[in-house]
Amino acid sequence: MIAQNEPAVVTVTQTSYSSTDSVVPPATKTKEGSAPQKAAAKTGADNQGGDKELKMMAKAANEFALKQLAPNREENDKYPFGPYFADVVQKAFELDFFHIMLPEALNGMNLGISALSTVLESICREDSSLGGIIFTTVAAQEILRQAGADPALQRICDSQKAREFLIGLPVFNNPGEVRHLAQARWAAGQCTLSGRIEYMVLGGTAKQALVPVQTPGAAGFSYALVNMEEKGVRKSEPILSLGLHACPAVDVDFDGAKALPIGQEGQGGFYFDKMADRMHAAAAAMSVGQMKGSFREALDYAKKREQGGHAIINWSEVKMILANMAIKITNAEMILEKACQAADAQTPRWEAQSRAAALMIQEMACDVTTDGIQVLGGVGYMKDFGQEKRFRDAKHTQALLGIAPAKKIKFMNEML
Amino acid sequence: MITSSEIKTLCAQAPDFDDIACGLNATKKAPKGMVAETRKVVAIARKFKQEVMQPYTLELDRRMQQDPEHLPWEFVQKANQWGFYSMWIPKSFGGQGYNIPSLSYFLEETASECLALANLIGVHYLAITSIFSTWNIGVISRLCGFVREGEKNNKPCLLSTAITEPNAGTDVEECELVDKGNITCIATKVSGGYVINGTKVFISNGHVSQWHIVIAYADARKPSENVVILAVQNGTRGFSFGRKEHKMGVKGCPASELIFKECFVPDDLVLADPEQHRKAKRAAKETGARFLDYTLAASRAGVSAFGTGAARGAYESALAFALKTEVDGKLLVNHEWAQSMLAEMYKNAALARLSYAEANHANGMYGLFSLLQIKPLYYYFKYLPMAIVDKWIVPFMRLPVATWLFQKLYLDGKKPEAFRRIAGWGSLAKFTGTDAGVKNCHMAVELMGQAGLRQDHKVEKMLRDAKLLQIYEGTNQLNRLNLFKCIAAGQHPQVKVFEYE
Repeated sequence: MIAQNEPAVVTVTQTSYSSTDSVVPPATKTKEGSAPQKAAAKTGADNQGGDKELKMMAKAANEFALKQLAPNREENDKYPFGPYFADVVQKAFELDFFHIMLPEALNGMNLGISALSTVLESICREDSSLGGIIFTTVAAQEILRQAGADPALQRICDSQKAREFLIGLPVFNNPGEVRHLAQARWAAGQCTLSGRIEYMVLGGTAKQALVPVQTPGAAGFSYALVNMEEKGVRKSEPILSLGLHACPAVDVDFDGAKALPIGQEGQGGFYFDKMADRMHAAAAAMSVGQMKGSFREALDYAKKREQGGHAIINWSEVKMILANMAIKITNAEMILEKACQAADAQTPRWEAQSRAAALMIQEMACDVTTDGIQVLGGVGYMKDFGQEKRFRDAKHTQALLGIAPAKKIKFMNEML
Repeated sequence: MITSSEIKTLCAQAPDFDDIACGLNATKKAPKGMVAETRKVVAIARKFKQEVMQPYTLELDRRMQQDPEHLPWEFVQKANQWGFYSMWIPKSFGGQGYNIPSLSYFLEETASECLALANLIGVHYLAITSIFSTWNIGVISRLCGFVREGEKNNKPCLLSTAITEPNAGTDVEECELVDKGNITCIATKVSGGYVINGTKVFISNGHVSQWHIVIAYADARKPSENVVILAVQNGTRGFSFGRKEHKMGVKGCPASELIFKECFVPDDLVLADPEQHRKAKRAAKETGARFLDYTLAASRAGVSAFGTGAARGAYESALAFALKTEVDGKLLVNHEWAQSMLAEMYKNAALARLSYAEANHANGMYGLFSLLQIKPLYYYFKYLPMAIVDKWIVPFMRLPVATWLFQKLYLDGKKPEAFRRIAGWGSLAKFTGTDAGVKNCHMAVELMGQAGLRQDHKVEKMLRDAKLLQIYEGTNQLNRLNLFKCIAAGQHPQVKVFEYE
């Protein structure tokens, strides 16, 4: 584990990508400004204190991943045909992994995207499902904060149980691109929902969900917060999916369900984009964790498995595959570190850097985890090792916040 | 302008014209009837896909995720009823005698719907190929007879091939590596047969097969010179099934562990052993290499067809999605970037198809089934009534003289160039087709975004399934090296392949 006096930033010479390695950018100065900016500012306001806090987060996340996630990875992945790991989610909640970016007024840690990325990377090295749960909840928190819905968020943040704290969100779709929207009659203080939302992540496990809705009076979409136990909410069975099995999603049908309007009518796209600017870096951190886990498993195996009378690590074709994996990971680390620093410091074009980091690193993760199976051969394709799961999770993660090629087009549009 | 002698000399230069023009050479020799027959096979495959596979694919995958121990007997039964387990067995061995290249088109069609179900049919033919590679006609004829009997009696009789061992995967796929590998499945010669001890793993279709073609070794110190190929039936004393692997994909096709403990196999079920080829005018290692080359050249073309099917299935799913989904206010299919992605996917599938077609042309010219594609023989067997085949041909095939004749033709009579050519094209097709399959599945999931993540939209399953293709039947890394061995090692003496650095 990371000792308190160890450097927080991993250098390129540390290429084993073991569980002690983690990208923790040094704390940077941030500007005063919006709520997220103020949250990020904590790292800048107190450099030494920020670094110390980040290291402690990294240590806690690493220990948690190794002790709570790694031993039961295959069992937890059986969901929905096996039990849901609610106890693990509760423990993560108690360690404040869901509170990282919330301000202190909302019982949060008031840390920036660097801290969230540190935790996500460590967790996703072992099991990305919990990473997906954290990502979804934090993304929903960000939308609520962007929309100025602090009172609603306050009520959620007062919860002492993970289930009541989690917030569902269709986090794999950008509702501005693919308009999967429920219908809402919008009124101050309350709205009524109808229609269907597909692939609502945590829709079956969280107490509430943030629903993108179309209202009669606005061209753009809006958001509404709905209690998932409300009358008029019907949830499907958990959806069988490619990866992140224990970060389940459901299809939700609304039929006159009462919900709380969030922010201004028709401004959902704005809130989503603001959230996505920051959360792309967090998504990239998940991918870096998957890559590191895949590389570590591949390297360990290559040292033990023999072919033609020699360990396969010593056959140059295998060594080349591992080298390509390591090179991609090392680059991904650097890109992520820069993106997190920029996002926390809100340097010019930090939004573009965050998005570019995610697009590049997610592609790398798909390549690296594909090779990660290949090094193990048939064994890598079996459920007994983590490689096949990392492969599925990496591809799944690539779809966070929307269709990957469409995200590239959007990136270009932003530059024009 | 140029003399015939110059043409001969220049065309023999690298790349040898005959290496790069298998299709061109084959076309003029191939019976025209093969085209109509292949067209019929594709139509049958599409009918089967629509009537049997499409309602069943996702249901089976879901069921396998829920209960990994389930075995898809109901599908095997259906495939047997449709006659698919004897369809590509030559008529002279009691099968239906469809031309072998048409099997690849059938596999592409079925794989475009579900790789697991396609494997439940296709893997049986890997075993058929491996028994034919020995040219032990008597044993082959008996085994094929069991398959046909199973079809008549509605009791499916599938064959599996057992090569991979717990500590030797790539090693047992390559003669140059096997002697350094950690080989543990040993067949010891005893009076009247062999006794097998050891374990085979990841054996596709193991649990649903009645016969297992086991590649074992009489001497672990020099496996390459001591290949023993035996047929072991379920229920044989000393043979048992071990675990059924829990895989990421291709879940409907079991990957089985086969355990042999003092398992006696009589001589009449030994397809090949060192003794049978003791008098051959070639090194014992070369005989083992020829078995492998014949088998893998044909089976790898089949795996390429699986990959092509995956690539095509992914393209078709992505296109269907793009035709009905609006992105940024207009149909996805009308975004230029999406059209470009879809075109790229179509191209990947098309080139993959060409690669297996060329490998099949090589096999038809120089490989396992070359005799069957000689026009007079093709038409003779095509129109010969089964009653006559049963009465005269099948009994002849069980005579020792048949084995002598075919081994003379196929093991003694073939030149090294033939093996180099078929093995090279087999490897090229294998990694071309399967890389295309994985690539397209990645692209389809990307294009479909959230919808692509759902099992009920199928492409996520295609991606899980397709990844296996890059691993089995020799990893794609091994196949690249094998291709290089075939195209370069003979021509450049300084080239060393499979040598430890």
